Amino acid sequence: MSTTQTDPKRKSLKKVGRVPASKMRHQHPFSTFLVTTWLVFFAILSLIPMIWLVLAPSKNDKELSYRSPYAFGSFKGYLNAWKHLKYFDNGVIGTWLFNSIWYTASIVIIATITAALAGFVISASNIRFKRTFLISTLIMMLVPPVALVIPLFVEMDKVHLVDNPWSVILISSLYPFGAFLAYIYYTTSIPAELYESARLDGCNDFKLFSKIALPLSTPLISLLAFFAFIGNWANYFMPYVMLPSSEHYTLPLGLGFLFLSTPAINPGVGATSVPIYKPEIALAGALIAVPIMIMFLVSQKRLIRGMLAGSIKE
Amino acid sequence: MAKKQHYKHNNGAMYLMLSPYLLLLFFFGILPAIMGVLEIPKPSMANANGGWDAFKIVIHDFRFGPALRHVLGFMGIFVPLMIFFVIGMALMLDIKHSPWKKWLRMAYIVPASISGAVAVLVWYVILQPTLSPIKGVLRYFHITESSQIWQQQNLVYILAIMAFFAAAGNWILIQYGSLQSISTEVLEAARVDGASVWQTAIRIKLPLISKYIVYMSVLVFAGGLQIFVEPQLLNGGIYQGIADSWSFDQLSYNLAFMQGDFGGASALSILLLIPSLLGALLVIFKTDMFEGAQGHIKKKDVEIVGI
Repeated sequence: MSTTQTDPKRKSLKKVGRVPASKMRHQHPFSTFLVTTWLVFFAILSLIPMIWLVLAPSKNDKELSYRSPYAFGSFKGYLNAWKHLKYFDNGVIGTWLFNSIWYTASIVIIATITAALAGFVISASNIRFKRTFLISTLIMMLVPPVALVIPLFVEMDKVHLVDNPWSVILISSLYPFGAFLAYIYYTTSIPAELYESARLDGCNDFKLFSKIALPLSTPLISLLAFFAFIGNWANYFMPYVMLPSSEHYTLPLGLGFLFLSTPAINPGVGATSVPIYKPEIALAGALIAVPIMIMFLVSQKRLIRGMLAGSIKE
Repeated sequence: MAKKQHYKHNNGAMYLMLSPYLLLLFFFGILPAIMGVLEIPKPSMANANGGWDAFKIVIHDFRFGPALRHVLGFMGIFVPLMIFFVIGMALMLDIKHSPWKKWLRMAYIVPASISGAVAVLVWYVILQPTLSPIKGVLRYFHITESSQIWQQQNLVYILAIMAFFAAAGNWILIQYGSLQSISTEVLEAARVDGASVWQTAIRIKLPLISKYIVYMSVLVFAGGLQIFVEPQLLNGGIYQGIADSWSFDQLSYNLAFMQGDFGGASALSILLLIPSLLGALLVIFKTDMFEGAQGHIKKKDVEIVGI
């Protein structure tokens, strides 16, 4: 993304096989060994929970207790766990999965479009109260969204949107971080002169966005969509407050509901005829966590560039 | 005149393009904050006469003190652990550049995908001696029953570790990224002057990334203050009653939805909003974190908000 400024010297060093300053310094081999060991140890520690989560549904409930947590059961185990999940409440897991997909997709689309437009307008126009918009956006960006959850519920209740998915979709579509990213992107990647000359050529402001800014926005759009997805796919608190009916639940809410209403991990619930045990719960958990993990792994650079928007050099 | 009209027309289109975001910002950012304040003085069961006593009533609620102790305890572990560990890891990763270290960075980011409800599930298993992927470690500490771990007095530690694992990987990568912004010339000069790896880290790198550290601290602090999902699910879904009204957000939720005291819940929300807001203003006006926006945030704005 061109929001980043590249240090020309660094780049040229990279090309010729950069030797970092730190590498040239004298380092004690033992301390280097200790540091490397610690870094590797923490990497292994970081992988353990995900390895368990992904492998657990391949085994049945008994195997989970007596076989190694790192042993793979069988592929049939995943199918069985999914079949059992579908027994629960007439296959409501499918509804939760579908809800998660369509709520998140709607949020990603609305949030990305509104944030990109806002960033463009703040960077390319001389509208009034521009600074006020920018400061409000920065404040909203740094205050956690859950801080306003109770007043938001009162507001949604007044307009009869409680227990309506649009309450969650609209609230979560406010994307101040995205608007700020878009503003930084357009400010640093499109020179003001380009807009000026397009205006002189008779381009109106809509065309300025659609013909000049938008074609140059592919990296920005992917960055905005990435952050909108990871922020909303596993969101729990807002849907928990706004959507009390289980048919409107998302996967994370559904997982919480499974904790509560099955004996899988809740000793307080007696035996039921529904075969929901730990492998089934783990499969529901993996359906939430694995898509985010994939997004993180393929978008590492986006994460760093986005969070340090505009101020990082490579 | 014609030119003036032309500009007016242009700005109209600009306002139109800005309006979807502005509507969202107003209805889901500014309006709820105003509504939250207006909700406070309304009469409720707890505050029969209404008025601003709602603040006093919520602070004197028998659950407020324990929630304050829990959250302070949790933050006392989580925030320093995050800051020192993340910075330490980022500095260690930056000592020596090797191609294989990209695999380490990939591994560090994996736990970030395990948060909220999934984190509760995974940590339930990790701390369950019969199922745990770290059975050997639990056995070493003579932990044979999960009840040895899942006790109320241990929750601050368990929740701090859960939150730490969910957040640390992302921030290690981000701070590692911030270290990459330090120019090679500065590091070369330090080397020529005979600075050791340790001296370079403490005296050169840390001061140069201080604004990112403040940025991280504010976001980690504000996020930690709003802990809700993990204690709520532990309390309702796994160990009944272990973390009832454990955090401020749970207390706020219970006031609103169990007791119908939206005034008290809003008062608590506004109280919690203040430190987050101050942190946000600190990052915006006292660091040059958002240097891209510097051109638009002038001294005048700083004076308006009184900083």
